[in-house]
Amino acid sequence: MAKKVGADRFGDFYIDGGKVRKRREWRGFSDTMYDYSRWLKIMMTLGKFVMKPRNVKAMLRYRWMANYLAVPMMVDRHTQGLRGEYLRICHEEQDLIIDDVAKLLDNLFRGDRRIGNDEEFSKKVVLVDENEMTTVMMGFPNLKCLSRETPSTYVSVLLNQHAAEYYIDVAQEFGLAGDVCPMPEAEAGVSIDDDAPVLGACALQCNTTCDGSLLGNGVISRRLEKEDGIPVFQLAAPLRHREDDVQDYAAQEIKNAIAFVEEHTGEKWDWKHYFECARRVNFATQCRQEWLEMNRTPYPQVFGSNLALYTETNYMAICGKIPEFETADRRITALARKAYEKKKMAAKEYRHRAIIWGVQSHYYMDFLVWLLNCWGIVPLTDMLSMVSTRVLKEEDTPENRETAYYDMAWLTENMIMRNRTHGGYKVLLDELWEFVEMFNADMVILWEHISCKALDGMHGMFEEKAREKGIPLIWVQHDLFDPRIISRQGVRDQVNTYMRTVMNEEPIDPSLEVLHDEQSW
Amino acid sequence: MSKPLKIFLKLLLAVLGFFAVTFTVYIFNLDMKLTALIEPILLKHYDRIQKDTHL
Amino acid sequence: MKDLKHLAFFEKLLLEANNELIRKAQQGGRICIAYTCENTPEPLLNLAGTFSARLRAPRTGSMEIATYYLTSFLCEYSRALLERAIEGGFNFADAIITPDGCSMMNRCVENMELLSALGKGKDKFFYEYMEIPMKADDNGLALYTVQCRNHILKPLAENYGIDISEEAIRAAVAEHNHLCELIRAIGDFRKEENPRITGYEFHLITLATYAAPKDLLIPLLEETLEQLRTREPDEKSPFRARVLVAGSEIDDIDFIKLVEESGAYVCADRFCCGSFPGRDPIVLTDDEDALTQICRQYMYRGQCPRYMDSSKMDLRRIYVADLAKEYGADGIIYEQMKFCDPWAYEKMLGSHILREEYDYPVLAVDRPYNIGTSAGQMRTRVQAFVESIEIKKIQKGGANG
Repeated sequence: MAKKVGADRFGDFYIDGGKVRKRREWRGFSDTMYDYSRWLKIMMTLGKFVMKPRNVKAMLRYRWMANYLAVPMMVDRHTQGLRGEYLRICHEEQDLIIDDVAKLLDNLFRGDRRIGNDEEFSKKVVLVDENEMTTVMMGFPNLKCLSRETPSTYVSVLLNQHAAEYYIDVAQEFGLAGDVCPMPEAEAGVSIDDDAPVLGACALQCNTTCDGSLLGNGVISRRLEKEDGIPVFQLAAPLRHREDDVQDYAAQEIKNAIAFVEEHTGEKWDWKHYFECARRVNFATQCRQEWLEMNRTPYPQVFGSNLALYTETNYMAICGKIPEFETADRRITALARKAYEKKKMAAKEYRHRAIIWGVQSHYYMDFLVWLLNCWGIVPLTDMLSMVSTRVLKEEDTPENRETAYYDMAWLTENMIMRNRTHGGYKVLLDELWEFVEMFNADMVILWEHISCKALDGMHGMFEEKAREKGIPLIWVQHDLFDPRIISRQGVRDQVNTYMRTVMNEEPIDPSLEVLHDEQSW
Repeated sequence: MSKPLKIFLKLLLAVLGFFAVTFTVYIFNLDMKLTALIEPILLKHYDRIQKDTHL
Repeated sequence: MKDLKHLAFFEKLLLEANNELIRKAQQGGRICIAYTCENTPEPLLNLAGTFSARLRAPRTGSMEIATYYLTSFLCEYSRALLERAIEGGFNFADAIITPDGCSMMNRCVENMELLSALGKGKDKFFYEYMEIPMKADDNGLALYTVQCRNHILKPLAENYGIDISEEAIRAAVAEHNHLCELIRAIGDFRKEENPRITGYEFHLITLATYAAPKDLLIPLLEETLEQLRTREPDEKSPFRARVLVAGSEIDDIDFIKLVEESGAYVCADRFCCGSFPGRDPIVLTDDEDALTQICRQYMYRGQCPRYMDSSKMDLRRIYVADLAKEYGADGIIYEQMKFCDPWAYEKMLGSHILREEYDYPVLAVDRPYNIGTSAGQMRTRVQAFVESIEIKKIQKGGANG
């Protein structure tokens, strides 16, 4: 039990073959009490959630709800080894996301025809994709924009590494090839298995992020439209998003999507609300840029999986619609500034400064925490956090209204991941090396999501460029949602082998090198 | 012992009791150990649910 | 049946990407525009002074170098093309135009560019990437038109001085339509109960029209059509069932051959490099510019699974069902090239819907680019499918009788 950063042997917390860890960390009195108080808050959030009978009913109806038993553990996995401001930053992010997901679930079950069946509420719900920028909902303050896939698959896998396996198998039993991306595959599996809440006045799907995602939507929309009677609009964002000659098309798609929502909900687009959301998006961008600026120095503050997860949520799902995220942005920035002034470090030793590129493994989102604690590799930033920094128009004028369509289109085109995996090799390949230079990185960790064809297709070029530039590049293969293909230890072994054989280094915390966490949540 | 003091002591005892129990649960990860036991029961339950599984 | 006069020539032609007719056209000073996806409007690549060649990698063997660049998870078509490009097999091309039809094809061509695998010694060589619509609507049409103008016509005019006027485009469409009508007429013989042309022969002829200059093929097609008009089929058909093949790109001449050797006559071809819808004529009117009309017809007739709007998705299956009915198919084979994401989903949905809602026996298979590598397995599956169709026919006959 240690107050000092890095004094613990973190591997000792694991139970061989166990689902959960032996105990929580002692972080010194004040940090432990802080972490304990946040744990209590999370327990209260969960308690409030299960107080509602409809949520219990949903818990007993939907298989994926079992994963929510693991919420506190997800936070523990991400706060491992953290002290002081780092611990607080992590809780600001994680706890807000938990709160947001709890509200999302509560709303889904309220409108769900099988559970709450609140028809009036359901008429105000617009279903959206999990992998979709929600910019087209920024001007509809009276509507609820809810994603069914976010809690059923995306968050579930963050909570429990095995969460998607059942649904992947369902999709494959129905003849889907096993080599497609397991994320849309699992989402399709949820739909096939009749395990998605049924509600909403209409649904918006999007062609983000990839061919698999686009086609997986076809499975979902079939059930939505033909059985549930929920009309679906497919929003097509151009793939070559850096080209000028696609922007008119993209803006028109946004206009069409807004018109579709207006038609099916009876709501009118509210410009005042849109520009208010746009102001918040700009503030989030400004904060993110400040964090990234700090990460260019020897004292990075907001980084790793916390940066990735928070950016994904705030940038993509929130899009300025929820004011609490602005407050969190402020608090995180204040904490980061404070720690930066004191030149604080999140681990006892920083050996390497790395850019994390590619698509991270969802079933091992806390891998970046491990990377830092085991090998002293600082994940300065990741591909999914390097998103648009364009400043949106905030003032309501006739010209700005027209520009706003282009702003929304731009954000939609530049959704996380697809802003790099599509749009030509420059955004995926060339800009990586620009970031390496910008962040003074001496290493690249390249997540290779093996079923992501857009990423795989640059494999050789990544290697050649790394060799040319003399930057150590560690491939970390995984299958995004399916740890049966490459386990968490399989992920770790790729780094362990590289660090020992190529870099000739010993781990900072050897107890973390091999962990028997294949059964763990 | 005056009444307010008694109430204060009772409250203090309740708070300390709450803290002792919840902190023990927290530090020894008992919440997660319990839910780990619940999960297999839930999964068996889900397997028994009749669903309209189709494309 | 008596051999078709030009069949051996078509077979020989398809053994090489840089075939005899491509060389002949280039010797005549014409520009060869390579392309990789059915969503690239062909008439725009076949203006006066140019001709199109859809890239293929016949007789593909090892793909080790391409697998290093693209990994083994990309489809073999994209890997085979890159391998052939690295080997220098596509250096005959004077330009390559590719839409972002799918991620794999996009990465394949980008790797060609990064590795400078094409255009050696050709100063005017260019790579062009196009955005193409994912939905069939007015907005999609506007995009398609702009993209064709900016990424096909403009570069052709600027780099090679090609005439891209309205008249030039209309002339190209006229030639394209003539070829399409010939293919349709030849293909119509497949509707006969005892057809005078095999699916394999038809596939060879159709595939040639993608891989070689169209104008040089037209005389051969005309002669073939004439020969077919009087061709006598064998008294007894060697086939036990009629099937429609639907799915992803097939430019391997051995696949259809294998299906037919297994007893199933391929009566209709709904796949990339097949005749449906690729060899539908483009009907032009005088009240609108030709480019917009071409794009509209490509967009609305397109059967590529990347089209994501609900109406298009439904129409894809209706299209297959209608074709099956028109050509008298007893069953449908849905095929996908391994690792093809779009067709992985479309195969699952299409095979399910055609079976459940249209009552067709359906075989769903995945296959390598070059069927030679797993011919035995495929043969067994098709043979079993043919038997199941026969059993169903007997059962239906019994029930009716």
